This record gives sequence, C-alpha cells and structure tokens, in this order.
Amino acid sequence: MSTLHTLNKAPSAQLLASCIKTLCKGDGLIFIEDGVYHVLEAALLESIPAKVAVYALREDISARGLTDKCDESVELVGYRHFVELCVEHEKIVSWF
Amino acid sequence: MPTPQKPRTFTFISRSAPYGNNRPRLCLGAALATAVFEQKVNYLFMDDGVFQLLANQNADGIASKTLGNALETLELYGIDQVMVLKESLASRHISSEDLLFPVQLLSNSDLQSLIESSDYVINL
Repeated sequence: MSTLHTLNKAPSAQLLASCIKTLCKGDGLIFIEDGVYHVLEAALLESIPAKVAVYALREDISARGLTDKCDESVELVGYRHFVELCVEHEKIVSWF
Repeated sequence: MPTPQKPRTFTFISRSAPYGNNRPRLCLGAALATAVFEQKVNYLFMDDGVFQLLANQNADGIASKTLGNALETLELYGIDQVMVLKESLASRHISSEDLLFPVQLLSNSDLQSLIESSDYVINL
C-alpha cells in the first residue's frame, strides 16, 4: 500500500523530520503551499530515503520566486500531475 | 490650535512567509497607515518573513496577488528604513542578491538596539 504524503508548512515548522520517520519504500512526498520552501534545504532533502519520490507543486514554486532555486532531487509537477499522484497512491497523509 | 505631537518611532516586524496566511498584508497595511500619520516607521523582515523579499515571485497560478509588488509601496509612503535580519537569510540559504530590492542587513545586536530605540513594536 503506497502512500502520498503532502506537506504544506515551511521548514521552520520542522514537520519534515516527523514525516521522514513514516516514509516507506515506494511512497511519494509532495511539497505544497509554504511546504515548497523545502526545495532550498539541500541537507534536509538528503535525509529523505532514496526510494521515495519527491515532488513540489510548480504553481506554488513560481508564486514564491523559487523556480531557479529548486534542489535537483525535487521534481516539479503541476496541478494535473498532483491529481494523478493522488489517484495512483492508495492513501494520502497530510502533514500540516 | 493644538500643538503638533512629536512623531513616535514604530517598528513593524513581519515574520510570516508571503502566501500561507494574511499576516504579511496586515503588517504592510498597518505600516503604510502609520506612515500616513507622519510617524517614523521601521520595517523589519525576520524568520520566514524574509521569504516575502525573494525576487521573481508570480502568484497568478495560485489565484493570489503577488506580494512583492505591494512591498514596493513602502518606498512610496516614505518608509526608507527597510531591514532584514541577516541570520534569518543565512539560515534559509538566501543571499542578499536574491532579494527584490536593496535592504539594510541587521545583525542580532542591531536588532536589539532597534527594539530598544522604538517607542512601539508591532510584531506580526
């Protein structure tokens, strides 16, 4: 049973550390809203297990001026792809 | 005729990222209103508030107004004391060249003197 995790707060909320403890092989993690500021945190992103796909919502990235600052380990997706991810995973866990 | 009161010093501290809540807009609105009443206004970005200053923001895709454009009204209202806490930039891996416009960089001890020298501090 794979899970899609959504995270919508900036790194200052320190949610990622708790989220990482729950990640399983094959899960997805998508940064949305203020969660997209995680793309600036290369060291934090490295602590995410390699078998987890990491995404960020493109619309939130460009709203916040982060398009050119995004860490390479993060794949940018639009709303349509976000919906597909929600459907592909059996369940969704929100970190907020 | 009443004697005009001596202007007071107001320091506004904006500590939230631009689109997650409306605190940044409230803080800006309050500062602009204060400036209209010819008070001395300092405007400081710290903590996640420094994200408001990142260049190249475009909030069309999330059905919001781009906050960076609104921040440029600070200067129009005569608020020239616009400051950023250096430590907040560094801990978020942002350099001063990434910002919308030039701002004063404050050390933690500068911050202490700023608060000490202010008559009122509005922390939003």
